[in-house]
This record gives sequence, C-alpha cells and structure tokens, in this order.
Amino acid sequence: MTAPEPTPAGFFMHVAFDLCSRPCCLPVVRATVGQLAAMVGWEAAESRAITLAVDEALANVIRHAYHGRADERIELHCHAVEGELQFRIRDTGDPPDPASICAREVGCDKIGGLGTHIIRDVMDTVSYHSCDEGNWFLAVKRLRRQA
Amino acid sequence: MTISVRDSGVARVVDVEGEVDLGTSPNLRRALFEALGEMPRLALNLRSLEYIDSSGIATLIEVLKHAQGLRKDFVLFGLSPAVQEVFRLTHVNRIFRIVDTEEQAVASS
Repeated sequence: MTAPEPTPAGFFMHVAFDLCSRPCCLPVVRATVGQLAAMVGWEAAESRAITLAVDEALANVIRHAYHGRADERIELHCHAVEGELQFRIRDTGDPPDPASICAREVGCDKIGGLGTHIIRDVMDTVSYHSCDEGNWFLAVKRLRRQA
Repeated sequence: MTISVRDSGVARVVDVEGEVDLGTSPNLRRALFEALGEMPRLALNLRSLEYIDSSGIATLIEVLKHAQGLRKDFVLFGLSPAVQEVFRLTHVNRIFRIVDTEEQAVASS
C-alpha cells in the first residue's frame, strides 16, 4: 500500500471519543488514530508511532489517574488539520506527578515507566495541565514534508 | 491476542498473535511465567504479533528478570518491523537476546 497524498490546504477533521476507562476501548481508538495519521500524510511507520503514543497516553490515564478503575470517563479529541495532528485527553482522576514523567532511565532493565518516553520521543510538543475540570494532556505532531 | 505453547528441543516456544496492550499484557505475563517452569530455555515467537505497547515491553522485561533468576534463557525471535520500532523507541534492544529465526532461538548457544 502506498502512502496517501498529504491533505490539501483547508482540510480539517475533528474526531472525539468519550470512553470509559476500560482497556478494551483502546483498540478502537488505535484504529482511528492510525487512519487519521495516514490521512494527514504520515507513512506507515510514523502512523504506528503516533498511534502508540496516543495509546500510551490513554493507558497512563487508566493506570495512574484512575488506578485501573474501569468505570471512569476519558475524553479524547483528535484534531487533524493540514500537516498536523493535535490530541487532547481529559480525565478527572489524580493529576500526573511531574516527577514521574520521563523519570525512568532509558536503556535499562527497569520494569515500567516507558510510556512517557515514547510520547516525548514521538510527539513534537507535549504538555500536562490540571484545573477544576480535570487533567488535560495536550500533544501535537507536525508533518515535515521532504524538500 | 492468541497464545499457544509447544516444545522444540531444549526450548519451550510460545507463539503470540495479535495485539499486546494494557488489556492483554496480563495474559501474556501469566502464560510466559507458566511456560518458564520446566524447560531450560523459553523462546517467544513474535512473528505474528501486530502491536505491542509499553505494558507489553514491561512484561517482557519482567519475564527476562525472572528467567535470569532461575538461570534460564529467554530468547525473542521473529520480530516484525512494527515490533522492532517499539523496541527501538523504548531502547530495550540490548536488554534482550533477539534472533531472526526459531532455529536460532532453540539452538544451543
């Protein structure tokens, strides 16, 4: 399968998920995010990496914000515009601990702590905010076209 | 995710198909810990694995450490390009013994 043509000027698509905090929801999100990334113009390997990063962000919400509770709520907003994908995730669980983000040494055999490294490596910008309405994860990935 | 177990020479071979993520990695962990029990080597066939996330990688690290504690070999083989990308992103390539084929994985080292 060849890579899709990059999306034209003026293109946009917004996909929103309102899902419970069960891991069984993740494959559905991955399928959509992968197709969005391919549509914006990323090749297969990059689309898989973007999909993995979003999956890791959602898994972190389930594990660390909600501590595995299955009946909580997660919002995911995926906004695709020309050459760019933006992801916003909201939860109402425990706020992320800044000291634990990318705290794990890379290349070691420590168990766990890899997800935030994946997110930082794959995305161009990543930020975490907590406010009255909950915790927001924001990430942006921009397409770099070959000259 | 589908897991099957068979023996090949001195190795127990575990074939895993499908996707390993937050929901399925506990099943993989359970299967690999059980498979470590009898044979001196555990070989994990990842040829039909379509997706693995960091919880799956963490499971493999946990199994590796347990195998080392039991003085057993834990070998991975048949990594698809998609799985290799995750290993590269997580910088765990050097932690594991990774070979291309099942013949290499079950051969005496």
